[in-house]
Amino acid sequence: MAAQGRTSSTRVKTERRSALLAEYRPLPGAFDEFMAADGKVRPHWEPFLAEWSALSHDELHHRFGLADRHVRDTGVSYRVHGDHDEHDPLAGERSWPLNHVPLVLTGAEWQTIASGVAQRAQLLASVLDDVYGPGESIAKGLLPAAVITGSPDYLRPLHGSTNGGSLQLYAADLGRGPDGRWWVLGDRTQAPSGAGYALENRLALTRAFPDLFRTMNIERLASFFQGFRAGLVASARRIEPRICLLTPGPLNESYFEQAYLARYLGFLLVEGGDLLMRDGRVHVRTIAGLKRADVIWRRIDGDFADPLELNAASALGVAGLVHAVRRGNVHIANGLGSGAVEARALMSFLPVLARQLLGEELILPNVATWWCGQPRERDLVLDRLDEMTIASAFRASGEGLDSGSILAGELPSDQREALRARIAARGQDYVGQEVVRLSTMPVFQNGRLHPRPVTLRVFAAATPEGWRVMPGGFCRISEQPDARAVTMRSGVRSSDVWVTSEGPVEQVTLLPSADRVAIKRIIGVLPSRAADNLFWMGRYLERTEATLRLVRALLGRLIDAEDASPGRADTLRRLANLLVAWGAAPGGKGQKPNGQALAALHDANQYGSALASIREARRTASVIRERLSVDAWRLFGDLQRQLTLDARHMRSEGEAFEVADRALKTLAAFSGLSQENMVRGAGWRFLDIGRRIERGIATCRVARHFSETDAPSDSLDALLDLTDSQITYRSRYLLGPALQPVLDLVMLDPYNPRSVAFQIERLDAEIAALPTLNEDGMLEAPRRLALKLAAECRTAEAGRLDKTSILLFEQLLMGVSSAVADRYFLQNDEPEGSRLTGIA
Amino acid sequence: MIYNVRHVTTYAYGRPVPFARCILRLLPRDGIGQIVHKRDLVITPRPAERIDAVCFFGNHVTTATIAKPHKELRLDMRARVEINRPAAPFPGLTRAWEEVGALALSSSSLAPDSPAHHLYPSRLVPPVAEVVDYARKSFTPRRPVLEAASELMARIRKEFTYDPEATEVSTPLAEAFSERHGVCQDFAHIMIAGLRGLGLPAAYVSGYIRTIPPPGQQRLEGSDASHAWVSLWCGPETGWIGLDPTNDLVVADDHIVTAIGRDYADVAPLDGVVIGPGSQRVGVAVDVIPVT
Repeated sequence: MAAQGRTSSTRVKTERRSALLAEYRPLPGAFDEFMAADGKVRPHWEPFLAEWSALSHDELHHRFGLADRHVRDTGVSYRVHGDHDEHDPLAGERSWPLNHVPLVLTGAEWQTIASGVAQRAQLLASVLDDVYGPGESIAKGLLPAAVITGSPDYLRPLHGSTNGGSLQLYAADLGRGPDGRWWVLGDRTQAPSGAGYALENRLALTRAFPDLFRTMNIERLASFFQGFRAGLVASARRIEPRICLLTPGPLNESYFEQAYLARYLGFLLVEGGDLLMRDGRVHVRTIAGLKRADVIWRRIDGDFADPLELNAASALGVAGLVHAVRRGNVHIANGLGSGAVEARALMSFLPVLARQLLGEELILPNVATWWCGQPRERDLVLDRLDEMTIASAFRASGEGLDSGSILAGELPSDQREALRARIAARGQDYVGQEVVRLSTMPVFQNGRLHPRPVTLRVFAAATPEGWRVMPGGFCRISEQPDARAVTMRSGVRSSDVWVTSEGPVEQVTLLPSADRVAIKRIIGVLPSRAADNLFWMGRYLERTEATLRLVRALLGRLIDAEDASPGRADTLRRLANLLVAWGAAPGGKGQKPNGQALAALHDANQYGSALASIREARRTASVIRERLSVDAWRLFGDLQRQLTLDARHMRSEGEAFEVADRALKTLAAFSGLSQENMVRGAGWRFLDIGRRIERGIATCRVARHFSETDAPSDSLDALLDLTDSQITYRSRYLLGPALQPVLDLVMLDPYNPRSVAFQIERLDAEIAALPTLNEDGMLEAPRRLALKLAAECRTAEAGRLDKTSILLFEQLLMGVSSAVADRYFLQNDEPEGSRLTGIA
Repeated sequence: MIYNVRHVTTYAYGRPVPFARCILRLLPRDGIGQIVHKRDLVITPRPAERIDAVCFFGNHVTTATIAKPHKELRLDMRARVEINRPAAPFPGLTRAWEEVGALALSSSSLAPDSPAHHLYPSRLVPPVAEVVDYARKSFTPRRPVLEAASELMARIRKEFTYDPEATEVSTPLAEAFSERHGVCQDFAHIMIAGLRGLGLPAAYVSGYIRTIPPPGQQRLEGSDASHAWVSLWCGPETGWIGLDPTNDLVVADDHIVTAIGRDYADVAPLDGVVIGPGSQRVGVAVDVIPVT
């Protein structure tokens, strides 16, 4: 199709080009990235514009679709705060709003940005080293102590520790002023986010415009991440360190990004609860016991990292971590306390500090900033209040600055005077900043390009060879055509950033060269939390399948009214009762089987419905997203979409049957995927253990329900349907369903992959393959119970099976489930306790 | 003045506690006009791990991990402390309060005793506009800082009711302020909020005060109490001066300092996590006995 797009005649291309540009008018007083002041498209954007002009409207949208599908399929999302739905824990997640136009920058221009950002990273790292160490820049009078002590992120317990405040990943927010120069708008030293989104934007746009990357020689991003990882490895004491990414958890707005980066970089994604202190060292709780963590890349604020020595209210960290840091037993990146130099108050001192600490002038200037903690600067700000942006000097400082910064000139006069009085009284809480006009770049709307203001986040990583800057970045675009930086708010779109190179670019992948790598088969260890979630994902998937089979069996019999076998009404009642018993459908008088079937499919208020179960499965999956393939994650999305009923119309029985049938096929695809594509490591085993236990239990329940001695043959027929054993049965027995052969096939036949016996054999095999902690040769509880269960099952006879003995199997299966949970999941040896409080 | 101080804290739990990890700030620190000759803290049951260290602000901090089940936790602190504080300056001769604020802001020291650490809101001392307005009444333009602060201290003593039942450790200072009641911790936090709101460096001090029994009566054993007050930086010449709003006293030789921080959270005598204590009963006995 791409070739077809390019056959367009020159005339058509010219027409398309003019259509794209028809409404593009750079904003007055702002620099435009795309179009020069004379209305000509800047030369480095021409290849891009030429490609777009060569594509028909349909083709262009087809390309957008490729990029958007990539965004959706990989689950690139961010979380919107306060947007919760009690039935759908993922409701707050939004797909990442991608602008299909990249920000294009020339290599020459990028040189200035890259060297400026690297210089600034080095400068801030030096300031951090100093304020957590000798404090010379303060003693010499280059920097008032109050600029550092005002930051809630200056963490005194880290003073004197080499890891305290150390900087390994830095981000600068840049904007380009009307004169064409780039300015630093803000510094991110705490735990910068966005590098993963930048990578995702790149992958999405590569899908849409693969040729452009080649023809325009766009710089690749991989070497940056390689350098960052090498820097983390080098900071550890062991040669092959265990590196953890410490996340605040799935409710964090950028959890996706964290999971994505953990997978991309091969780090263990952990929450505070996964970590445990023993003998002054940090350990990860895994299914094979406690394993040492050497390096922690944190995405939680430093203050939350240790409830014992830092913020006592934090539940995100691990008690005793600061002590481990001081002893040098763990390396944290960025070092705890690194957020101290994010303060805007510091910006006004950076030009002087650059001269003194680095002997250099700043390559990229700051946005002009005056800290009102100094009398002269305060008076200047008060004199020019109306033309300034007033912002908090430190995180959360300054009364009346909830949103961070305001244009004083736009305040009503009474509020402006109140602000003036507050600055006069406690100037140290405020800075005045020059109002910045941002540059603009194109966004695509209604077939036309329009200019919108942008800010650019650029990342620098400390590598063993020094600071390396990502050749690209995370570009945010405002929806409003107002180029003043202060009007940038959340809810904006983002763009990929293309840095063009003169010649072909170096190809780097994160895969190391073959000769340096020791061969491994099963990589790393499985954290207990991940095992827990995989297990439950397996159980919920299987629960979804069981419910779907019940619904399909019920609907199939309702539709097939012609075939009124004896006992049909009885079977329908039994099927509906099971749905009620499983919490999938409402019970009671007045409920009709067809309504119950629909509820069991779509009703999220029924906790056992297929929709509720798949949502639970997806929720557990979302917590271990770094362990799932893109395809697997996509199937979850597909399933949930298939089962979500458009509230406006009620489905007919036939349609609902189709829905259940299709959803079962999607589930089968997931099973196939996990069978064929998942490494047989511990992770897969827990998923399989969950599925086997759930399937075993469900089969026992169905068997108890449909195999009473007086059950009509239609009932046994339903049992064969529900256990997918119809064909096997018919191939073995010529007569219609009879109780004992059916029970044997469904319960005891180890060759039938749907039988309880088969699940029990698999369960025993999986558990046998898990790591053990006992060194005395004794069996651990899960294995002991599984063996006992297998023996019971192997020695059972169909003729003696009755409700009670089937119930015993069911209970034993539940016993194995609890034993697995007790042994392998988060051991509660140190759960949240109550706090001791002191005495005044 | 030399004192023997004994401070025994006992936690009795409703059921055995299998695990406790706590941070203790019970041992008195050295400081201006204060020398600690002997200090000792006995923790029962004996901790599996115990670390004694000095924190950024110079306070003695003990971290203890108790890994075996226990129904009682007993912390027995004994110290012999010599106090010999320089006499406080004459309030009317201290610098104008505006000058003190400006000097603190331009301080070029990050050392633990730098006023720069105590200029900003902290966890338990958020900015409260009403408290600052209340404090401002004593801080007329160019008034000597110690004179104004002493008046503020006297007003708190006079206008607030001491009521141990009214507040808890967790009561926000704004609430204690609007109700005009509380204990030493609340009064110290309120006074600090007022001083910092005006741009003055104010620290929180935990410790003890010597109590003198009514004439003709014996001192009751264990009847003393731990205490808290404020320390105000009055300029480079004068340095830090202790102000006790609970008793309307400028701190002299009757006060023994345990720890100094930005607020109670920095110096809490005992903080930590215990597992499943059910209920807990706390017993505290403090004796401050002058030796010479």
